Amino acid sequence: MPKKMCDEVVSILENRKVNGKYYKLTFQSTLLSQKVQPGQFLQIRINQGNDPFLRRPFSYYRVIGKRVELLYEILGRGTDVLSKKKKNDELQIMGPLGKGFCKTIGKKKRLLVAGGVGVPPLVFLAERYSTDYLLIGTKSKLEVLPKHELKKVKAEILYATEDGSYGSKGMVTALLEKIIMHEDPRGFFIQTCGPKRMMEAVMALAGKYGIEGESSWDETMACGVGACLGCMVQTKEGLQRACVDGPVFKFKDLV
Amino acid sequence: MKVDLTTTIKNLKFRNPVTVASGTYGTTDEYAGYVEPKKLGAIITKTITVKPRAGNPMPRICETSAGMLNAIGLQNKGLEDFLKNKIPYFQKLKVPLIVSIAGESVSEFSKLAETFDRLKDVVKALEVNLSCPNVETGGVNFMKKQERILDAVKAVRDKTSLVTFAKISPELGDVIEIAGKVIEQGMDGISLINTLRGMAINIHTRSSRLAKDFGGLSGPAIKPVALRYVYQVKKEYNVPVIASGGICDTRDALEFLMVGADLLAVGTANFVIPAATVDILKGIEAFMKKEKIQDLGKLRGSYKPACERGEGCSR
Repeated sequence: MPKKMCDEVVSILENRKVNGKYYKLTFQSTLLSQKVQPGQFLQIRINQGNDPFLRRPFSYYRVIGKRVELLYEILGRGTDVLSKKKKNDELQIMGPLGKGFCKTIGKKKRLLVAGGVGVPPLVFLAERYSTDYLLIGTKSKLEVLPKHELKKVKAEILYATEDGSYGSKGMVTALLEKIIMHEDPRGFFIQTCGPKRMMEAVMALAGKYGIEGESSWDETMACGVGACLGCMVQTKEGLQRACVDGPVFKFKDLV
Repeated sequence: MKVDLTTTIKNLKFRNPVTVASGTYGTTDEYAGYVEPKKLGAIITKTITVKPRAGNPMPRICETSAGMLNAIGLQNKGLEDFLKNKIPYFQKLKVPLIVSIAGESVSEFSKLAETFDRLKDVVKALEVNLSCPNVETGGVNFMKKQERILDAVKAVRDKTSLVTFAKISPELGDVIEIAGKVIEQGMDGISLINTLRGMAINIHTRSSRLAKDFGGLSGPAIKPVALRYVYQVKKEYNVPVIASGGICDTRDALEFLMVGADLLAVGTANFVIPAATVDILKGIEAFMKKEKIQDLGKLRGSYKPACERGEGCSR
């Protein structure tokens, strides 16, 4: 008998813009806050009725006690509608879904590479588990998270902005290469989440230096529970479902 | 008041009329954490093909107004895997199983029918999928030639005594005419409707929002079309009908019942509301109690056509 899954109506505690890019949504739930691993996700039914019709997946950003926080950017109609929700508005939420990031990495140094929607789950990971570096790539300073959002992260946080307005100028992968070249590359374990092109570049570098790691790989999904087969990812074991077999996959398993 | 939802089709008895549309309920227990599968009247499987199919490239799905397009492309691990790894699950479950089958040739339809005919302890009926819009052979394009449909259903009929439903859609041509012909070939009932082919474009890239140009439209957007076909086919032939197409809530389910649907297959709604099937079941019961209808048979087909009300008939 599979374990009972949670689909709950919650009230919004807070939904506000935190910088030029992200909104933060907060709610309380005993069930949705239980046994969450960074990298797992939720499926939100933004409105009852047919618009938006499908649920939208969001990664967990932070769980403190029963309090769940999500950090999101407006990427389409669903997130646009969500951004207009007010305190006490209700949302129907399923979760926690999928397989999260690996927490035990032996004696290796945890190195996280985040971009865009990949920032929240990796901040969560760096708050929960000992991490050496958190690298964040953005377009400009506007998207940089306020310091208090990162105060629980004990890792060294390094930003790379494309326009050079904050941190180092250029792509986050250039920053990544600089760091891994300074030490024994094989002593690192990389975990990455963000735009596909970024993750592909990270994986290419990891391959070049023989570094192990994981990336959170998503595709447009409908159900979030492995039924619709919309979000397949090509792995060495064949096609796997990002929503239940992932979204986190080992570099070596991805094709 | 206790209400009776028992639904009988030929020699089959279902404890209630609520089932799941092919391809929307996973392959085995994906929804078992949300819905007790035993509560369903029947389970219709994802379409099984003889050989494993990898399906289409991503993106395979996108949301459209009140619905979604999919171009999954009948991804499944094939007949052998189904028999070895999925059938034992359903055997234990003891919910009437309706297996959806699709062949790329007449001989594949034969093989599928023959195989499942030997599994009558688990498999109670076959849904012959003649209308997948997302595959090159065996789907809508291939079946456009009516003799191919008829050859396929004949092949199935020849090989099995299981109750058989032909799943057809307006993409194949005139639904009423095709329904008549497949019934003539011995199909016991009709499953209506499959997805309708549609398009969605990313205006920035000017390319399809799917990896393919077209996908199958499902969800509330197609419900009025599905309802109309269920009504017409039921009226014309009075054969068992599995209804699907945008059934999301109790109201939808009741509408389909009123035009005569025998089974109600909840499809895309499962993706949005995992408990949609049991919500609908409870809703139907509540409606019957409120309306003091004890037997579902009294509700089924109770639609009052416009002409009976003296307001002119539709065909």
